[in-house]
Amino acid sequence: MSGGPAVRISIESSCEKQVQEVGLDGLETYVPPLSMSQNLAKLAQRIDFSQGSDSEENGVDSEPRDGEWGKQEPEEEEDTVKFQPSLWPWDSVRNNLRSSLTEMCVLYDVLSVVKEKKYMALDPVSQDPTAGKTPQVFQLMSKKKSLATAAQLLLKGAEKLSKSVAENQENRRQRDFNTELLRLRSQWKLRKVGDKILGDLSYRSAGSLFPHHGTFEVIKNTDIDLDKKIPEDYCPLDVQIPSDLEGSAYIKVSIQKQSPDIGDLGTVNLFRRPQKNKPGTPWHIKLEAAQNVLLCKEIFAQLSREAVQIKSQIPHIVVKNQIISQPFPGLQLSISLCHCTGDKKINRSSPEKPKPDDHLYVLEHNLHQMIREFHKQQLSSVVMPHPASAPFGHKRLRLAGPMAYDKAEISSLQQSEGLLEKIIKQAKHIFLRSRTARTIDCLASRIEDPQIQAHWSNINDVYESSVKVLITSHGYEQICKSIQLQLNIGVEQIRVVHRDGRAITLSHQEQELQDFLLSQMSQHQVHAVQQLAKVMGWHVLSFSNHVGLGPVESIGNASAITVASPNGEYAISVRNGPESGCKVLVQFPRSQVKDLPKSDVIQDTKWSHLRGPHKEVQWSRMEGRNFVYKMELLMAALTPCP
Amino acid sequence: MEAPPVTVMPVTGGTINMMEYLLQGSVLDLALESLLHRLRGLCDNMEPETFTDHELVYLLKGQQGNPFILRARRALSHPNAPWHLRYLGQPEVGDKNRYALVRNCVDVAASHSLPEFLNEMGFRMDHEFVTSGHIFRKGAMKVVVCNVSRVQLPGNTENTERMSNSHLVELSVLAPAGQDTVSEDMRSFAEQLKPLIHLEKIDPSKQRH
Repeated sequence: MSGGPAVRISIESSCEKQVQEVGLDGLETYVPPLSMSQNLAKLAQRIDFSQGSDSEENGVDSEPRDGEWGKQEPEEEEDTVKFQPSLWPWDSVRNNLRSSLTEMCVLYDVLSVVKEKKYMALDPVSQDPTAGKTPQVFQLMSKKKSLATAAQLLLKGAEKLSKSVAENQENRRQRDFNTELLRLRSQWKLRKVGDKILGDLSYRSAGSLFPHHGTFEVIKNTDIDLDKKIPEDYCPLDVQIPSDLEGSAYIKVSIQKQSPDIGDLGTVNLFRRPQKNKPGTPWHIKLEAAQNVLLCKEIFAQLSREAVQIKSQIPHIVVKNQIISQPFPGLQLSISLCHCTGDKKINRSSPEKPKPDDHLYVLEHNLHQMIREFHKQQLSSVVMPHPASAPFGHKRLRLAGPMAYDKAEISSLQQSEGLLEKIIKQAKHIFLRSRTARTIDCLASRIEDPQIQAHWSNINDVYESSVKVLITSHGYEQICKSIQLQLNIGVEQIRVVHRDGRAITLSHQEQELQDFLLSQMSQHQVHAVQQLAKVMGWHVLSFSNHVGLGPVESIGNASAITVASPNGEYAISVRNGPESGCKVLVQFPRSQVKDLPKSDVIQDTKWSHLRGPHKEVQWSRMEGRNFVYKMELLMAALTPCP
Repeated sequence: MEAPPVTVMPVTGGTINMMEYLLQGSVLDLALESLLHRLRGLCDNMEPETFTDHELVYLLKGQQGNPFILRARRALSHPNAPWHLRYLGQPEVGDKNRYALVRNCVDVAASHSLPEFLNEMGFRMDHEFVTSGHIFRKGAMKVVVCNVSRVQLPGNTENTERMSNSHLVELSVLAPAGQDTVSEDMRSFAEQLKPLIHLEKIDPSKQRH
């Protein structure tokens, strides 16, 4: 041991003090040692006073007595000192001893009497309730007193608790506001300006160029009365939207036939059921409504700007909240912005009769869609230039110089159709389509023979839709399939494509389509005869879609066909015009004609096979439900039985 | 007799009379990430784009006076994009009220045969460099953060060497002459980048050694 280095042992007193806490840096904080008085207090705390609680009654009883004794004694002493000053100093002690002796004697007497059992016996007696009257009063009073203290303590505690609960609620409301704000922040753009929180309603970040600032303010709505019941839809966060974006709005697009006098045009009041924005509406509904109002305003502003700028034959009219345009003569397209702020009482509109719902929902929807496309276009048109030093701008326009674009190519780059032009084109198309459908339906219901069928395609372009029109005869659909028309309805005109590829372009005039269909129907009849002749074994002698003879038709041309019976004896000629109707002639063989004037030239019997004169068939008196059926009957009648 | 040299007068008049308002600064590569982060937050909501450009500076020496300088630039990352030919006029520092440097600027998009064309015209290439970095946009303002690399072999853009360990930051706006309000916008934007980078108007004529 002596050889090695001295080992240093550090001795530390064991930790007598209690460790209060260990800091994050490992520092131990000790509980300071108790002082003498604290130690005493601590020990005193350990004494269980409740153990002596059963003696409480006695204690309480004895205490006032002691007090009485204590009080009486000095009084007596004073008295004796006052009135008997000559008495010796142990007088009171003597008196007390004397009285105690008397009592002891009495007690002895009583005990001896009891013990002898001759005169009286001691029996346990039920305790008289009145006997303990005095202690009970004390008990009651003391109980009352201690209860009062306890109640006071409890009340104090309750007060504290209610205070802290209220504070908690306040805190929670505060926290609710923050969580609501967080939710708001995740969906809307917010920024802090001074001590206000402002949000952005506008579509500017989505590419809108509408100059409305579209700012809303976030309001903390925590100062509600705590006593009242909190309404269920209470939200600590409220938003203040600009007054011009309040309420609800929509764009109404409609097409009317006759144009009312321009003088009558006022602000269109189209709200039949004004939606009320209650103050308790959640903020997201409010914000969405306000944003919708903003979008509608933007659409309308864009449309009215274009309406003023675009030069058209019939100028577009912008009056107050309405844009009026004439897509076709006698037709009026009106686009109006309906904005209801909700505050105003709409009394004027209520007595009016509810107008028919002439909304063109498709166009209204398309307007919204187009403005969003416009936004997107705005966003996507700004691309970063490459190389980086080049100016911002249209990428394709930058190519114009190096690629040597000509004027047409450059103008095609720049040309962009406005919202109004697009919507007018769509309106024109929608109108043309519905009018075409009506024309076809009218004809189909008016004319039973031949039948007309229209097959509309379900999927359309906004500017083009197509319908397939079949003209058939009832019962002969399989053989009479000659007329199949494809009507491509565009914006300004209808293009008709025949089955054989011929194409005709009709204007938007209703009459043109009607006349065309009528002439097609008349041609159909003759085509049907031709088909029928094939089936029946008759020979077609001549056929013409456009006959140059006979009365002139006002629409189209008459068509005609001549067919001969299988053995060539009979011939039927049919002439059918769209207006003049059909005329059917039958030619008989010469041999069957009795009253044929004798001719000098044809005397040989072989000439008797020549066909004779024509006779007209009274077509309306023919039996049969339609033209082709009648014709079939006629052919059958003229075909000799084998 | 030799044809008179090309006029060295700046092009003026018409729609091409545009001025470039410019603020410049530089940031060390260490602080680049935080600057880009800040710019991403401040600039328009577009994906920030990177670029790699090759710039050739051409000189046309007249008989007297300063040579006429043209800058031809092409995007290495977009080989099909047109070349960019740029004329930059003398920078005007102006008074203290105008916050940005202003210089005349003519931008022309050109086809890929631009170098040959300039050579034919008598221009000679003075120097070339490759620059790559990030480009941001806020409204009309363009923010370019780029490093500059020296081209070691003429015409070979693969073999380059960084000039420094810092990035050049340029804030520029193209505007018609006399629109000094844009410099106010640039000032407020530059203020927002303040702790990261100090954008100032740097007069290149005073930087010459």
